[in-house]
Amino acid sequence: MSSASRALAIAASAALLIPVCGFAPNTARSSDAEIGADLIVTAAPAYEPLAALRGAERFPKGAQLLIVHEGKTEPLMMGFAASADANVSFDGKTVLFAGKQAASDPWQIWELTLADRSVRKVIATATDAVRPLYLPGRRMVWAQRELWGFQMESAEDGHTAAHAFLNPAAGPGVLPLTYTQASVFPDDVLADGRILFEAGFPLGTGATPELFLVYADGSGVESYRCDHGRARWGGRQMNSGDVIFTHGASLARFTSPLAREELIAAPQAEYAGAIAETASGAWLVSARTASGTHYALKLWKPGSVALQAVLTVNGENLVEPVLIAPRNTPKRHPSGLHDWDYANMLALNARQSRMGDLKAAPASVRLETQDAQGHAVVMGAAPVESDGSFFVKTPADKPIRFALLDTKGTVMRQEHGWFWIRRGEQRICVGCHTGPERAAENRMPAVLLRTTTPVDLSGAIVTSTAQQKSPGGN
Amino acid sequence: MSVRFQIAAGTALATLALALLAVALRTDHLVRAAEADDVNYASPLEVLLSPDGARLYVLCQQSEEVRVLDAATYAVMKTIAVGRVPRGFSLSRDGARLFVTNSWDDTLSVIDTRTLAVTATWPVGAEPSSIVEDRAGKRLFVANRISNDVAVLDAQSGKEEKRLLAGRGSSYLTISPDGSRIYATHVYPNPPHVRTEFDNRTAPESEITVIDTARAVVVDRMPLYRIAGVFHLAFSSDGRLGAVAEYHPKNLVPLAHLEHGGAFAYTLTIFGADVGKTSIEVPLDELERYASQPFGVAIAPDKSRIYVTIGGSECVIVIDVPRLMRFIHTRPRPQSGSFAYDLSASANYVVARIPVGHNPRGLALTRDGRKLFVANRLEDTISVIDTRSNRVAATITLAGPKTISEQRHGEQTFYTARQSFQGQIGCASCHIDSTFDGLTWDLEPDGFGRDIVDNKMLEGVKGTEPYKWNGGNPNIPTECGPRTEKYFWRSENYDNLTLADLVVYIRNMPTRPNRWKLPGHEMTPAQERGRALFTRSVDKFGKPIIEYNRCSYCHSGPKGTNQKLFDVGTRKPTDNSGILKSPPLTEIALTSPYLHDGSARTLEEIWTVYNPEDKHGRTNDLTKDELNDLIEYLRTR
Repeated sequence: MSSASRALAIAASAALLIPVCGFAPNTARSSDAEIGADLIVTAAPAYEPLAALRGAERFPKGAQLLIVHEGKTEPLMMGFAASADANVSFDGKTVLFAGKQAASDPWQIWELTLADRSVRKVIATATDAVRPLYLPGRRMVWAQRELWGFQMESAEDGHTAAHAFLNPAAGPGVLPLTYTQASVFPDDVLADGRILFEAGFPLGTGATPELFLVYADGSGVESYRCDHGRARWGGRQMNSGDVIFTHGASLARFTSPLAREELIAAPQAEYAGAIAETASGAWLVSARTASGTHYALKLWKPGSVALQAVLTVNGENLVEPVLIAPRNTPKRHPSGLHDWDYANMLALNARQSRMGDLKAAPASVRLETQDAQGHAVVMGAAPVESDGSFFVKTPADKPIRFALLDTKGTVMRQEHGWFWIRRGEQRICVGCHTGPERAAENRMPAVLLRTTTPVDLSGAIVTSTAQQKSPGGN
Repeated sequence: MSVRFQIAAGTALATLALALLAVALRTDHLVRAAEADDVNYASPLEVLLSPDGARLYVLCQQSEEVRVLDAATYAVMKTIAVGRVPRGFSLSRDGARLFVTNSWDDTLSVIDTRTLAVTATWPVGAEPSSIVEDRAGKRLFVANRISNDVAVLDAQSGKEEKRLLAGRGSSYLTISPDGSRIYATHVYPNPPHVRTEFDNRTAPESEITVIDTARAVVVDRMPLYRIAGVFHLAFSSDGRLGAVAEYHPKNLVPLAHLEHGGAFAYTLTIFGADVGKTSIEVPLDELERYASQPFGVAIAPDKSRIYVTIGGSECVIVIDVPRLMRFIHTRPRPQSGSFAYDLSASANYVVARIPVGHNPRGLALTRDGRKLFVANRLEDTISVIDTRSNRVAATITLAGPKTISEQRHGEQTFYTARQSFQGQIGCASCHIDSTFDGLTWDLEPDGFGRDIVDNKMLEGVKGTEPYKWNGGNPNIPTECGPRTEKYFWRSENYDNLTLADLVVYIRNMPTRPNRWKLPGHEMTPAQERGRALFTRSVDKFGKPIIEYNRCSYCHSGPKGTNQKLFDVGTRKPTDNSGILKSPPLTEIALTSPYLHDGSARTLEEIWTVYNPEDKHGRTNDLTKDELNDLIEYLRTR
């Protein structure tokens, strides 16, 4: 759809919605008490949640945030051609959202004060800015459209009109958190302070939606779990600490004891997007009975056999519900990044992998980064010690990946995707893709007994990957 | 540097300085308040039930008493005063006598359980920490933490027969169900057996010392590889399954982050006929939730469950024994004998985590296994858990102050793991029972593999600033505040008032009695000779010793430090600097290894191995006997 026709569609949709309650909501009052709070939901005639990972529009026919207050449903605010991505502050008093005042505008970040419904613009950029989330420490994170798609950025939120950010992508105070040549979107801020985000797997190259984690300073990026292969998106953390997400059209969870996802035995339906947990432990979900119909808002008490109707709007998908209530503030991550323009990485045993430990000992490790065109650039190689350890100085804030080589320079195993290490980050990897369940062994890495100076692979030694021998590993 | 950055940096520094000043002022105020405070908490450490199940005995460490409760109504029947800082207790087999180890006055209180009165107080070894009686009622076995042994006493007279060498920091004893063996564990790792170039960089080892009860001899030392910090051990009633709670530190890996068990694994070693010929280590942790500081262990009478108190995580972990057995017998056993590196392993056998009070420690099951009593040391409560529902059915509040003093709040903060990322560590993970851990660590900010540092004792730390071996932290609030948040917790720290309370606790931590000092501060002849060497200004050849190269110069003052930094020639190639703070000498006899990086296993090695050029004081003119005298004196500090 062209931007002009998309704008028309949004305008038409808005015209239908803005006359208050012209969309004839059907609210089931019986669920009010069980929900126990007002809620905000996104209404959209068309919902293509994974389109964003391809750089396309999730709401091709527009979207509008609705508030459900004491059983009455109305637009959350007036004067917007489109609005979505509501995130309620920890004190329950304000709402960050993505909005367009005019249909032709890019998505921008706004904040609504619930007490008086006043709205202020907190992000003003020339390109789309979506999916804002509050971070502890008066900061916020969002996804900003850039050259390679959406990247996550973070900035301090002044909470005053005077602190509205002007062109934050180029201005001071904005911290880019992700450094990959593919789109990423924040899903939630976990209780431990890390940001849950979704992107294609393998990171930077793949198309299968997957959930990842990163600290609030952009360090420590990793897959949430490593049982990859299924479309996982729309994650949100519950009070129990479990992360519930959409798996295809089903619901599934990550839970602390398990290294793999666990399917949730929810009533038969197609589910989509993030859910919300009520104070009583019930879940607000977006569900539909069949493909081609619209998602309605339902309430499900985990363990029960049926979904309870909460809200339907004819011709609209009701997705991404959030409750208007105070909630626990996640822990702030105290950044320990050093004032360097490079990073260090120590691998404890590169032979260890979730895909099976390497039987033969790798002789060296090769580091690659990506140039501006997305081509792989070899940065050099470093020896791997007999215990599998290596210690290298890497470029910072750039996509990187490692390959293990044998004595002949043949690739024994190579990373599928790309990750990054932040400036001043000192990172330790237990192995090569060992999975989050693999803990470090208490062993002095042989490389540190030999030297405490990392092999410098931070400066480009430009070599085409075509000149390298072809990968023999996975 | 831009002007804007300079202004911002200046503002940030000013803000930090003001915050630290506020903490310091509050700290000073609270120190005075705390010192004047006569708050006496009970601090229940251990619990046990009488053989008939009618009484619950509660060992209250801080109020230094045993409280006897009706096990059905929880009413207090009697409070019995015992000695200083009691740490362990047990009943004679017939239940007629209750023995209490008083760890700070080195005595044993014998209580008649009919009259509930102390009938005898016997002297024992240094820092007695637990006690068991053999089945014949002939002998008592006492674990002495400081003398690293198990003393064998006549059960009727209290006369000591002999000592059996146990692990370092010998602390907890368990008798096997058939009474034939006693198992002793210890809280500090044993020193390395073999001297290597990287002594300070080898994995710690501990042991379970197995004693033949009838002969009172050590018959086995079960190795606990990679373990430092071993606590209670329990057996199933049929004696076929043993389980012991322990810490598995990651001190050899740079402490760069906490995810993936970066600092500790917390585990059980299980052993016995049900397990097989070799013991096996199983983790209690999960991927995102750790079991920080396991302490007490109990096994259900029907062997269906193992219960473990988790002091820092403030919960009780419940393990399904059949599932645990299935796990260890069906999974390929790692060559190391340890599953500690698999954070998903516990999902196979941990079935519940039951939240309880602050710093849960000892626990006791009723004979039918239906009730579990848990002593919440820093909450002055006993949680009563219904083991069928795995819920706390009742909480017994021990009589005591209703308010939480700053010092008490600081102690709670010291022991909890809530502050750290995913609850992995608390201060007490490395400062076991507020002391030290006998380990060297590689902290991330100094560079990977660089500036390896020995962990220090905290007692008497007040007034010995600056802190850190390089003297980088000017005071305790800085040490425990921003530095700890960024490089240890890796997560948002406590607020400033909580930090102040923590500082109050650390500054007021009592110092245990020095066992090498004679009453009245008299000295033995060897100690006198050692003191003369310590303070001498002329060497044995009549040459003057320059002032800064005398022991008594750097190690001056009441705590043995002049609080200044020196180069004593101990710099290693991996050290960023050789300029180090002269450490205090408080309780130095207890705190091996020595030197900033723990490279000296003993005090003697400081001079015989690491002082070839007499930069660390003039000592190369001294004989072996004279060094022994010097050590005898240092032990009195």
